[in-house]
Amino acid sequence: MTSPFSGPRAQVAAAIALMSSAAILLGACSISEAAGNSGQSPSAQVSPLAPARHTGPQGLAGQFVTDCGYSHSAPDDPIVFPGEPGMSHEHDFFGNSSTNAESSTASLLKGATTCQKQRDTAAYWAPQLRDNGQVVTPVKSVAYYRAAPGVNPKDVVSFPEGLHIIAGDMTATEPLSPDLAGWACGVSSTHDASPPQCPDSAPLRAVITFPDCWDGVNADSKNHRSHMVNSSQGLCPKTHPVHVPQLTFAVAYPISGTGHDLTLASGSTYGIHADFINSWDQEGLENEVKLCLNRDVVCGLSSNRDEDPLFGPK
Amino acid sequence: MYLRDLKGDEMRKATFKLMLAFLATLALLATACGGSDSESGGDSNNADSGSDSTMTIAVPADQPTIQDAVDAAKPGALILISPGVYNEDVDVITDDLTLRGLDRNTVILDGQFKLENGVRILEANGVVVENMTARNFTSNGFYWTGVEGYRGSYLTAYRNGDYGIYAFDAVNGQLDNSLGSGSPDAGFYIGECYPCNALIDNVISENNGLGYSGTNSGGDLYIVNSTFRNNRAGVVPNSGSYELCYPERDTTVVGNLVYENNNEVAPAIEVALLAQGNGILLPGGVRNLVQRNQVFNHTRTGIGLVPYPEEDASDLAPEAAEWDTPCSETHDVEVPPIPAADCKAVDGLLKGCVVFWNPYENRILDNTISGSGAADLAVGTIDLLGLGVTTDMLRNCFSGNTFATSAPNDLQALAPCDAEGNGGSWDAGALDLLGLLGSPAAAPPEGTYKTTPEPAAQPNMPNAAKAPVTPAPTGPPKVDIDAIALPARPAGT
Repeated sequence: MTSPFSGPRAQVAAAIALMSSAAILLGACSISEAAGNSGQSPSAQVSPLAPARHTGPQGLAGQFVTDCGYSHSAPDDPIVFPGEPGMSHEHDFFGNSSTNAESSTASLLKGATTCQKQRDTAAYWAPQLRDNGQVVTPVKSVAYYRAAPGVNPKDVVSFPEGLHIIAGDMTATEPLSPDLAGWACGVSSTHDASPPQCPDSAPLRAVITFPDCWDGVNADSKNHRSHMVNSSQGLCPKTHPVHVPQLTFAVAYPISGTGHDLTLASGSTYGIHADFINSWDQEGLENEVKLCLNRDVVCGLSSNRDEDPLFGPK
Repeated sequence: MYLRDLKGDEMRKATFKLMLAFLATLALLATACGGSDSESGGDSNNADSGSDSTMTIAVPADQPTIQDAVDAAKPGALILISPGVYNEDVDVITDDLTLRGLDRNTVILDGQFKLENGVRILEANGVVVENMTARNFTSNGFYWTGVEGYRGSYLTAYRNGDYGIYAFDAVNGQLDNSLGSGSPDAGFYIGECYPCNALIDNVISENNGLGYSGTNSGGDLYIVNSTFRNNRAGVVPNSGSYELCYPERDTTVVGNLVYENNNEVAPAIEVALLAQGNGILLPGGVRNLVQRNQVFNHTRTGIGLVPYPEEDASDLAPEAAEWDTPCSETHDVEVPPIPAADCKAVDGLLKGCVVFWNPYENRILDNTISGSGAADLAVGTIDLLGLGVTTDMLRNCFSGNTFATSAPNDLQALAPCDAEGNGGSWDAGALDLLGLLGSPAAAPPEGTYKTTPEPAAQPNMPNAAKAPVTPAPTGPPKVDIDAIALPARPAGT
């Protein structure tokens, strides 16, 4: 393709990507350090370790959104500790309601879902949140599927069935780039490395953005990371040439106001991370990618319209 | 004729609606802007939908499902759907299709609370959907997004989990002769467009969280000759930077019946609980015209102009000089974060970057309002951010209304549209905004939308089997608002 971009949105997105590249470069320093700590740094790539992220009001870029209720919690992790129940820190699971340590893509494809989109039977999970040591039961998760900023929406193909992805760094004890994994109030695209104090009308969310370039071969890798990298200025590197959706995963918690002391089951809130196994109804996922992302259509939004009102009873 | 099959109460309703339709026809005769009015007015016996120029696909005779028919259709095709319950969600990406049911009440798309949208039109221009029902979808009954040209006529949408009939980022549209019932958000919604070039005409919206909602929409956007009743709140367009194209402005609300929007058992998103008990509420609405509406029996305000305070806002409210900027000029522009110096919070009350979307320059004319618990006519703001903006500075005006109570007192003398105000006090009888905003209704149980009452049978489009295809609008509607009279109160209300 001679020009990777087409249409005004893509041009704007490209400009944004260029403008933010300096910020990304700065962010990359701290991320690579953190990734080094975890021993999970992918082999040398030209792509940055923090994603270029959509900001501002939703609607600038084509997207589809899948809202999934909280399903269950367990000390299981079918990506990192497959077949070893109880080996992981406590996770909250969303979407597929059958997810456990024994889960395989085949078993997940038979599972039920907590998602509003019934065709989304994917498995999503994140570490359990605690407030003053007490377990916080999340409200729901919201998964945004978009072409990353600068990426030509027409180039994006669906996740392959069974793709495993991890984003964020559970071992982080220093702030990561909040573009990669951070905390926000409601649907605000302002992200912090630590949980901010949120209003009732926009309670706390953890927000993790997954890498959007796939090596085109492996559904998983030994460190569960090196088969995926972030795009840079709208381009995927030759080693990971396949553009897949940029999945931004948010967990909504019933946390607002003051008096909270938040930790994760994995440790510091800096270590917020999330895992994903693509066990969507594959045809359903491909349909949404084709209709919404490739055609740059806003197929759905997440809003604060259903959050507690201002001045409401506390 | 369907009237023969109805009895008692249904007959009265049907007669009433015929009268409404007649009034609407009178109002629209001058417009000749296409749409259903020309269909209902014309002698369609001569029409032949199977003419050479129209490709017609029958469901299930030619194609087993509606989606199969849509996928097989070329632009301009008519898809004629026979009575039946269709458990499918239909995606349309082909321009200029017409999806038409042969019978509005028995051609039913049913999502069984598993599928998301009855019909979803995604950046396909000029798509018309008419004469059918969509129920039991987890999101929307009928949904247009990113389109130029759309029409929904003789549609029934009920028991849908977000909106009944929903147009987002869409221009040149018409929604007419339709019913939206039992959605926790709005029965009818037109949002994120300016100018929208859209008409909502002769619809009924009931048993919803909001009768009408439209965030950041307006500009040749008309809501006329319609009934908004028994929702939690009636007509509620609003502004906010959580979506693009703010503020909401230049919506024209004329000749509607808006009554008894106090429903305590209807499904509701949280903002509907906050808006509960208001007839026409403009939270942060700008330059709207609200004229000759019959508004009665609301526990809070009949017509209320209030601020929409947005916490953790994405952007500041645009200055008045920017209100004419078309959505297309701001739509694809990156919004930088609010500069720290402009980011204000209210200690102990409002957090993050707070933006007060105030109601400016609305004109409230010739309405008849009665039976309101707080005030028939109301306007108010609170200057919590210390920006020096008070209610008297918002340039809203009120003339020719028939009403008993207002907040502040004597509002038509204080802020008339056609003369100088009397210089009276804006504090006497001022709206208790904190009280209003601070006492939302109790939330209904999860999934309440699934229990919405079944609507009565609704009128069919005339001659659905043979009426010719009438294209969707291609520009702003031509509406003679001066010809639209104040509707009378229905018998028994």
